[in-house]
Amino acid sequence: MRSLLRNGRILDPSQNLDIIGSVLIEDDQVIEVGENVDQSHLDEVYDCTGLWICPGLVDPHVHLREPGDEHKETIITGTQAAAAGGYTTICCMPNTNPPLDNPALVDFILDRAASPEAGGVFVAPVGALTKGLEGTELTNLSAMKRAGIVAASDEGFPIQNSLMMSRAMEMCKQLDIPIMAHCDDLGLSKGGTMNDGAMSAMLGLKGIPRTAEEIATMRNCILSLDIGCPTHIMRVSSWGAVEMIRLVKSLGAPVTCEVTPMHFVFTEDNIGEFDTRFKITPPLRTKIDIELLVQGLQDGTIDCIASDHSPHASHEVDVPFEDAPFGAATLECTLGAALTYLTHRGVLSPLETIRKMSTNPAMILGLDAGTLRPGETPVAQITVVDPEIEWTFDRHKTFSKSKNTPFHRMEFKGKCMLTFCGSEVYRDALFNEERYSILV
Amino acid sequence: MSRNLIAIRTLENDEINHLISLGADFKSRIRAGEAVPRLDRKVIGMLFFENSTRTRVSFEQAAFYLGMRSSNFSTSSSSMTKGETLKDTILTLRYERLDGLVMRHRASGAPVLAARHFGGPVLNAGDGQHEHPTQALADALTIIESKGKIEGLTVAIVGDVEHSRVARSNAWLLDKLGADVRLVGPKTLIPTRTARLPGTFYYDLEEGIDQADVIITLRLQKERMKEGMVSSAGEYASMYQVNSESLRFAKRDCIVMHPGPINRGIELDDYTADGSHSVIHHQIENGVFVRMAAIYHCFGGGEA
Repeated sequence: MRSLLRNGRILDPSQNLDIIGSVLIEDDQVIEVGENVDQSHLDEVYDCTGLWICPGLVDPHVHLREPGDEHKETIITGTQAAAAGGYTTICCMPNTNPPLDNPALVDFILDRAASPEAGGVFVAPVGALTKGLEGTELTNLSAMKRAGIVAASDEGFPIQNSLMMSRAMEMCKQLDIPIMAHCDDLGLSKGGTMNDGAMSAMLGLKGIPRTAEEIATMRNCILSLDIGCPTHIMRVSSWGAVEMIRLVKSLGAPVTCEVTPMHFVFTEDNIGEFDTRFKITPPLRTKIDIELLVQGLQDGTIDCIASDHSPHASHEVDVPFEDAPFGAATLECTLGAALTYLTHRGVLSPLETIRKMSTNPAMILGLDAGTLRPGETPVAQITVVDPEIEWTFDRHKTFSKSKNTPFHRMEFKGKCMLTFCGSEVYRDALFNEERYSILV
Repeated sequence: MSRNLIAIRTLENDEINHLISLGADFKSRIRAGEAVPRLDRKVIGMLFFENSTRTRVSFEQAAFYLGMRSSNFSTSSSSMTKGETLKDTILTLRYERLDGLVMRHRASGAPVLAARHFGGPVLNAGDGQHEHPTQALADALTIIESKGKIEGLTVAIVGDVEHSRVARSNAWLLDKLGADVRLVGPKTLIPTRTARLPGTFYYDLEEGIDQADVIITLRLQKERMKEGMVSSAGEYASMYQVNSESLRFAKRDCIVMHPGPINRGIELDDYTADGSHSVIHHQIENGVFVRMAAIYHCFGGGEA
């Protein structure tokens, strides 16, 4: 089986490649990438004129909710949503029930992800740093690494004790496992539900001060600088945190970070009259924060764009604001939001956009992904994007089980049309079938 | 047309003025033994998810004067303790054919959700730290009775502004109607960023109440001491108590208010609570009449 993706704009950040050309796939492998590829004996052709051909997108931060919260999402529905969002690899977070803190659960997740009903994308589990995410005892990280975790994190239950965190970093440094750190000083943020600011004062909601994020970011950065443990700061939201990360990077700390589409699209103002769809952690902040996040994306301080896909059932979010859980379901619109709010506005070039959504997260997490180079990924991982197509995101037409998204009914420009992951091919409903031909 | 009363913040000035004058009208009629409009055969649910005696009794009185029946619902006797969601409780009351709801809830914004699912009139009797609109209406009527107007007055709201729904509703109402609003309290009990709240902030009591026409004192909750926001009741009283001494900085004919319940000796001393400056009893009585106005208005009543 020889398939050709013909005449597209090839964007491969791993080779700094931005050319018009074609990609040849044989069976489930990329064979050739370039301006003139071998076009003999083809079985099928996708005409990619005007489309981008990119390495499959990599999402460093996804909540699949299984085991324990299958009413929100399952590994099957979550991976289907990922394929539809253009992802070929997603990292799933350990805050499941029970938490992902032992090798048996890692096996379970990898098995489920490989089942034929799943979306056909790779799932890279992130293991818990401490048992039960309780912050007191380290998990068996080496055993979990052998089972297949790519990073360790206590996710939304960040380790508060600095000594504990430094031990975790020493262990992870030795085992060569990056730590993914959600940065929150729980004393400062206790009971808070939204950004501590003018809106929280008006609505009478307890605020989460930006200092809660910044102090924890600074602590983790200092420890990373001292110990040399690769540390990935999750979902940066405050401009102060961007400044600190820029500083420690310049000092040589092995620190990387990510931003979510919620944080570069929305502000605290979007909460309006207690709209729980905008209850996000860290909280949505202000215009100035968006400006500085954008600057951080441009100058490379912010390495990745992550969905932080956090599905919740409708009955869980149709409650008073302070009772609602944090997070939004975003796997199927993160690319659209990035293209619309960053790429088309000239913040990021197409190549840099794909770098932050594919090559960088793959590199940070040591994944065999994020490149179109033949032989460098276990199977072909390719995402074909129509950068110009205009569409409206409808939460009722998603693969994800959950509909808790602030992007509902928003108009985007740019969408994933095809996702190739080995022999699995996802075709978007908006993909023009005339572009596809079978050669006899 | 049925309406909700959830926040003063979102009301137009015309509506606020209408509610205050309707309350004054009901007051004079009830006192004179004259007839008031009746909402016969209407049932209003009193949903108090948080303990309250005075506000509930006040709403019940208001409903009684309007000829309505009120149906009580409190957390201890309700299915909320059995894990029912707020949405389902509201839907149950809707299909039990209640005509309106009065609701108090610990969560800011809960009445917004209730109104969405109930469909009919919902009146906020206090939601978290957000708003307590009928208290602000009662206070406004009380101020007008004493001072003849609101516009141009200097009003100091003293105490735990950060956690007070009374402070928020009063600040919005008084600012909308043209008063000079001052919010006075320790830095730990004043919101850190205040650009969206009306009023000027003062951390010093004497400065804050300087030449004030009206002082509204707020209740200090005991939890504030536990949370380290105030070191002790004594310390707070020494800095922010409105008493015979500090009152000298306000205008001579200044009135002193308190939404209750009072911590005597903390927010106020006996001299101010019981003396000639105090209009606390008028606030309580006016509460009944503005709640009549609020219910009548929300049930679609026009000229009374």
